[in-house]
Amino acid sequence: MASWLDYTINGLIVGNVYALVAVGLALIFGVSRLINFAQGSIYLVGAYIGWVAVVQLHTPLLLTIIVVAVAAAIVGLIIERFGLRPLQNSVRIAPLLATIGISFVLDQLVMLTFSPNPRALPSQLPDVRFQVGNGTIGPLDLLIASVGIASALLLFVFLRYTKLGWAVRATAQDRDAAMQMGVDVNRVNQAVFGIAAALGGVSGMLVGMYYNQIDTAMSLQATLKGVVAEVVGGAGNVPGAVVGSLLLGLVESYGVAVFGTSYRNLFAFLLLVVVLVLRPNGLFASARQAPPEPLTGTFIAPSRPVRIPRWALLVAVGGFAILPLFPVSFYVLQTLINAWLLGMLALSLTLVAGTVGQVSLGHAALLAIGAYTAALLSLAFSVPVGLAIIGGGLMSAALGTLLISPSFRLRGHYVSIATLAIGEIVSLVILNWESVTRGPIGISGIPPLSLFGYDLISPASVYWFSLAVMVVLALLQGRLLASHLGRSFRAIRDDDIAGRAYGLSLNRYKSLAFIFGGFAAGVSGGIAAHLYSYINHETFNTQQSILALTVVILGGLGNVVGAILGSVALVGLPEVFRIAAEYRILIYGIVLLLLVRFRPQGLLGTI
Amino acid sequence: MSNIDRRSLVKGSLAAMMAGAAFSRAAFAQSSEPILLGVSGPLTGPNAQYGAQWKQGFDLALDEIMAAGGINGRKLAYQFEDSQSDPRQSVAIAQKFVSDARIVMELGDFSSPASMAASPIYQRGGLVQFGFTNSHPDFTKGGDFMWSTSVSQADEQPLLASYAVRRLGLKKLAVLHLNTDWGRTSRDHFVKAAKEYGAEIAVTEGYIAEERDFRSTLVRVRDANPDGLILISYYSDGALIARQARQVGLKQTICAASSVYSPKFLELGGEAVEDVHLGTRYFPQDPRPEVKKFITGFKAKYGGQEPDAFNAYSYDAMNMAAAVLKIGGTDRRAIRDAFAKVKDVSSVIFGSATFDVESRRVKGAMNAELVVRKGQFALWDGKPT
Repeated sequence: MASWLDYTINGLIVGNVYALVAVGLALIFGVSRLINFAQGSIYLVGAYIGWVAVVQLHTPLLLTIIVVAVAAAIVGLIIERFGLRPLQNSVRIAPLLATIGISFVLDQLVMLTFSPNPRALPSQLPDVRFQVGNGTIGPLDLLIASVGIASALLLFVFLRYTKLGWAVRATAQDRDAAMQMGVDVNRVNQAVFGIAAALGGVSGMLVGMYYNQIDTAMSLQATLKGVVAEVVGGAGNVPGAVVGSLLLGLVESYGVAVFGTSYRNLFAFLLLVVVLVLRPNGLFASARQAPPEPLTGTFIAPSRPVRIPRWALLVAVGGFAILPLFPVSFYVLQTLINAWLLGMLALSLTLVAGTVGQVSLGHAALLAIGAYTAALLSLAFSVPVGLAIIGGGLMSAALGTLLISPSFRLRGHYVSIATLAIGEIVSLVILNWESVTRGPIGISGIPPLSLFGYDLISPASVYWFSLAVMVVLALLQGRLLASHLGRSFRAIRDDDIAGRAYGLSLNRYKSLAFIFGGFAAGVSGGIAAHLYSYINHETFNTQQSILALTVVILGGLGNVVGAILGSVALVGLPEVFRIAAEYRILIYGIVLLLLVRFRPQGLLGTI
Repeated sequence: MSNIDRRSLVKGSLAAMMAGAAFSRAAFAQSSEPILLGVSGPLTGPNAQYGAQWKQGFDLALDEIMAAGGINGRKLAYQFEDSQSDPRQSVAIAQKFVSDARIVMELGDFSSPASMAASPIYQRGGLVQFGFTNSHPDFTKGGDFMWSTSVSQADEQPLLASYAVRRLGLKKLAVLHLNTDWGRTSRDHFVKAAKEYGAEIAVTEGYIAEERDFRSTLVRVRDANPDGLILISYYSDGALIARQARQVGLKQTICAASSVYSPKFLELGGEAVEDVHLGTRYFPQDPRPEVKKFITGFKAKYGGQEPDAFNAYSYDAMNMAAAVLKIGGTDRRAIRDAFAKVKDVSSVIFGSATFDVESRRVKGAMNAELVVRKGQFALWDGKPT
């Protein structure tokens, strides 16, 4: 059928676009073992520099490319020097979080400078089109393809045949050994970041020209697709990134062909999960590649957790409990309610990430499962709200654990990428499974919180209810961590090989952790659903997953009190900075960077 | 409180309110503090552009309201809280506004999840939540404090369907829609009306807001062999689809919902949006005086920039708020009741706006049939393209 040719060509064209981001990500991962969440932001910066060059300065195409490449490279060097180099000896997760913080800062700076309105970035190539099949291909498609393939080839030559390239590969293989052999590791890192950033910037500009449109929201999508493509190809493998991108483009295109447009991203993320399950190191991982290191575990920060005396905790809980008796504004109470709800999610995540070492970037999916279950139970089956929320918790525990179980055999960054994908899949299933979830229309008219027939409507009663639920969950978790089971969890985190040798069944313990964690997250989602009275597929998004992870790191991995403290801080900070309006995400990003820099083990330290 | 209680309370307080309004008017005329509106909307995050456009519309309306003497002699101002259109933040903002006695009415939020999550708090707190971009069919069902000037898609989409099917004679349609509550509701209304007018719907495709690549979607459209493409899109994705449709060789007539009406649509779409047909609720050459005033005022204030639909919504919303406050004074309940009393408020979108008390929405949006000619929006002259 002729259409299949068109779908194939379209898939390859959009695959090319993904490749531009994925190659930069792969290069950085190869050397620093770091998934650079700021790559999409450099892509954004490149697009806007390109806009200034083309629209304001009227530079010719070649000069535009050079200007963008140089400017983006400088941004990359600055990120490496001031954002990441100081974190070399801290926890593995610290640089990852730092790249998230950097992406906030860069995105906001671009938005403040250029306003969030989309802009047209006209293509500087002649607008002729060649007929291929029933569709057409233009010069810009060819330019993007050649930039993608040429940069992959050049990088390959650079890595294989130049001295600096050898140094890069040596550093990638064994950083310490390379240092002992006299390789200037910092210079290598700088070079890699510069090259990756130049590539990222140029790709942002080219993609902007391709769509004749740039806007400040393009960075997260670019990162997401780039990461999927890179991991499918095999993290750190530059040619693999190109092949992975083309494959991703094809799968999406064929997915649209067979099932329709609304399923498009579903297939992208399913591809990722399938590849990760069948070939945990990606399609093109060489046999010689060292196994990925756990993200936490042996890299946990050497810190002594801050022990908070029991009486101080009691005083704090008591203080929060009597707070509504004082004349505080409902706004303060509502902000704290948000903090308690986030606290439950953070407890859930700190159990799986901090205690078992499974860093999840898709934790919002557990909220969504809990929220939809609770909402549907109370609306469609008239289950009392209290029971519906418990039902939400149970469903999150069961379904969440089942969904995440394919990631149990993965290690290191791959766990976070797999969970990120599962989070997206859950959101897309909610969008498409209309007969149950009502699709994009969402569920409205969810009854308010109630307990034993009494409606909890006043902010004070909602506050007490959510505080009480969170305290109970925290106490249960504290009890769990102090038990034999808790010690087994930490053993798996610290050294899973030793744990296995000692006779621990990894999958079973990971499942247990996700069951407990899923319950807490599901309860949080259920309460949120009844509090909001309206939910749809956008209510629980990736942003919340990232927020939960930030909270957990901020508080100290595995630290129950830390998770709650982190929630109060991170819900509170943006509210405190609310007066700063447009600047507050910028401030939030900077605060996040400073925390990662100066207190990487978290406020209360890791348990 | 049961319904009966509430109703009798309202009745009982009506008389008191009349007296109260007169009293408060006198009292506030002396006060130098401005009357404060709360705005909950996105200033950062993926929807930040819409918050920025709101501000432009608000500020223009405020200038004019002040120049005309304010609200019965008092100044009017707004406090814009950034919610990122995130429900967790919009509920906190709702509590903040409800408990802040200076805030007399709330405007926003932008998206349905953020707005409707906050509705119960506004309803219980007795503060009007005036949603002017909330076309979700359930928004005003949140309670009698929820009012909206957002055009119901049940009103708008049949007009677009009539344009496409009856006027342009398109018989077999492909519908591409944003897969959100708005896009979905719009699509359903459009499809229903188009079928009533005798058209066949060959294919419908929903896409998510972040989508940038539509080539494969357009191959599906091509294989369905329609004679018209209907875009239920915002201007940025609408321009993308039009460009890519022309690139993959689709030559069919394109019709778009009024939400693409923006100078940005022309800028982003370039030649590809030439001959695109769209219904819109206002356009610069519209001879109506309220539109002329809006366009000239907007261009003068913002350095020649052309306003777009979201600027118009927020401008109208602020004017509507001012009209309501003139009747309702500064008492929150009285303001709620004043929504039912305002009549024929001058409006860019509606010409003159009056609320339907049952639906708490405004009915009868104006619709002009436009087409893009030589890179400009122009009234359609009735000639096929």
